Amino acid sequence: MTDTLVRPPMSAAALDADDRAALVESVRRLLADRCTEADVRRIMDSESGHDPALWRALADLGVVGLVAPEAAGGAGLGPVELGMVMEEAGAALLPAPLISTALATTLAPDLPGVADGSRIAAVAFAGSHDWTGRSDVRLDGDRLSGTARFVPDAAIADVIVVASDDGVFAVERGDVEVTPLPVFDRTRRMADVAFYGPATRIGDAARVKATRDLGMVALAGEQAGGARRMLEITVAYATDRHQFGRAIGSFQAIKHMAADLLLESESATSAARDAARQLAEDAPTVDAAVALAAFACADAFVRVAKDGVQMHGGIAFTWDHPAHLYLRRARSGAQLFGDSAVWRERYIQALEAQA
Amino acid sequence: MSMSDEALRGEVEAWLAAHWKGVPAHSESFGRDPRSEWLAKVRDAGWAVPRWSSEWQGRGLSNDQAKIVERAFAKVGAPGAGQDRSNLWANTALAHATDSFKREIVPQLLAGEVGMCLLYSEPGAGSDLAAVRTRADKVDGGWRVTGQKVWTSGARVADYGMLIARTDWDVPKHRGISFFFLPMKQQGVEVRPLRQITDEAHFNEVFIDNAFIPEENLLGPLNGGWGVLQTALAYERSVMGDGARGPRSGADEPKGDTALLALAREAGRLDDAVVRQDVAQVIAWRVLNKLNTARAKAELAQGTSSPIMSLGKLAMSRILHEEARVRTMLLGPESLLEGPDHPRAEDANFLSLNAYFTSIGGGTDQIQRNIIGERVLSLPKEPEIDRTIPFREVRAG
Repeated sequence: MTDTLVRPPMSAAALDADDRAALVESVRRLLADRCTEADVRRIMDSESGHDPALWRALADLGVVGLVAPEAAGGAGLGPVELGMVMEEAGAALLPAPLISTALATTLAPDLPGVADGSRIAAVAFAGSHDWTGRSDVRLDGDRLSGTARFVPDAAIADVIVVASDDGVFAVERGDVEVTPLPVFDRTRRMADVAFYGPATRIGDAARVKATRDLGMVALAGEQAGGARRMLEITVAYATDRHQFGRAIGSFQAIKHMAADLLLESESATSAARDAARQLAEDAPTVDAAVALAAFACADAFVRVAKDGVQMHGGIAFTWDHPAHLYLRRARSGAQLFGDSAVWRERYIQALEAQA
Repeated sequence: MSMSDEALRGEVEAWLAAHWKGVPAHSESFGRDPRSEWLAKVRDAGWAVPRWSSEWQGRGLSNDQAKIVERAFAKVGAPGAGQDRSNLWANTALAHATDSFKREIVPQLLAGEVGMCLLYSEPGAGSDLAAVRTRADKVDGGWRVTGQKVWTSGARVADYGMLIARTDWDVPKHRGISFFFLPMKQQGVEVRPLRQITDEAHFNEVFIDNAFIPEENLLGPLNGGWGVLQTALAYERSVMGDGARGPRSGADEPKGDTALLALAREAGRLDDAVVRQDVAQVIAWRVLNKLNTARAKAELAQGTSSPIMSLGKLAMSRILHEEARVRTMLLGPESLLEGPDHPRAEDANFLSLNAYFTSIGGGTDQIQRNIIGERVLSLPKEPEIDRTIPFREVRAG
């Protein structure tokens, strides 16, 4: 694999449509080569759920440090490019800590080794940013205590970043207790992280909300990409599979479901890209756009994956068929950073604030 | 055309400055147009159809230059420009009428001097339009037509109806249809208003009994009407936006995407978590539909075809039905009432019925799902048992 983002642009805004298309194409090629369904299953069945060689290849491509500043060894790109890359990652079910890394390199650009992929950072949101409602992380002086729950990628992390109302803190892996969780979606590993010692303040609390929005944009991209791919897989099957002497996709019972799912997946794509654009431009309506993308993309992916399994019939009820991998991914993403009801409420609050 | 964009903009702006004085408002696309004096001026100056050649009242401009003309008209609020994209009747006539009929009818169509209506659907041919049973039989100098059409807007004021009728019963259904301009003002054409579920009457039934069509009013080849219809329908789809109307009462009606939020506040229901979720979801669908449309336009502008365009109708049907449901929920028992003293109830009830205008009108949502499934997702068509047999043998009713 020789593709790299050889020429990091001066700023995110400087990446033109051709450069973006080239970026997406290089990611797509890498994933087609190194993140096949067999790869996803191998990684998902592994102890760590992580493939260091694949992570290295993503780092070589410049994708790991995509939104990290150039000064910190990143590509210095923004939410729009991150969203596009995540669409590809979501389509391929890439099991890699891309969102965690985007969060960490935004909260704490100077964390050594994270932007170049040599170290992995996991991010725990605490206080008012805790999306689990289950965490009890507290800051006492310069010490953290309590447990952050459902922290993505914590078991493979070298450093844990805590994003709280009191600031951003870093704790080395050796100074916390990590308990991996038996997750339903084994392509998105999570762990509980117990803190009981000193933490290094590495950033200001003011960054936390915008960073969470960036994480949401990344997740929305992943969901839009996943929904699109799941629909493609389903439509292809409905075209090939014959019963009663006809392709099952010729039956209106199937065709009409497919049409409805196209509306869902295209709407998810529109919402994800609009939120990314508004976040990049720091638009006045960015809160509404991010909230909309959050629930529209989560709900769309769950519906497409769910109905997609149904449209396949028995074959998709088997472990060996990939459909359930998308359904699992859709269901895990629908909880991450808050569920759709939470984001619909945030959406109407943002609309009330605009009015 | 070597005229520079600047010179063109100057010319059209100068022309508008010299001639534009305002016209009566007109929102109907059917019937005679009260603005026809103005529209005739626009036509004669070559601004009505700037993309067409000068032989047909145009200027042979490129698409980009024609947009300069349209923008200049839009800037002062003057109607009539860009009909080469928007005038269904004139575009259909230009594409398919004989030269002599075109010379007679196209100038009148561009100036709105003749009223038009559509005579496609029949009681027995709705979703299955190729099953029309209105017959046109050849006679000296033209055709004699007998049959019944339905869902015809503007029929009472129309001078012509664009008609599909069966001209050959011994071939399969798509191959025996012809396309005509039927003169409406004659013995044998009777128009009756059709009372809708909203208790309004925007549409008519048209009863045709031995009416006459002159030879030259045939568009396209004899028995080639299905092809003509496809181009006419394509024009119609490209110009028809969201046909659904707003609330009927119009009483201090909140506007825009977030109107539902204002209504919920007005109803004192914004502290209800269920209401908040439903209001957020319906507003979200509206915004998503706009984002989809914007993305489709951007993709079309880049020259790639967009699958998204075909989704707008489905999206809008859901929005309208769900908006009406949430409006009703906000009102509770007040939604049992109607009349001018209960404008919000009147609106909620009207909108819940009129939502079908979008989900049934212009082809049902079910037909639209077939279209999306087959043309966008390339799923195979349903077998059609009547596609290859002579129409005479097709079971009807």
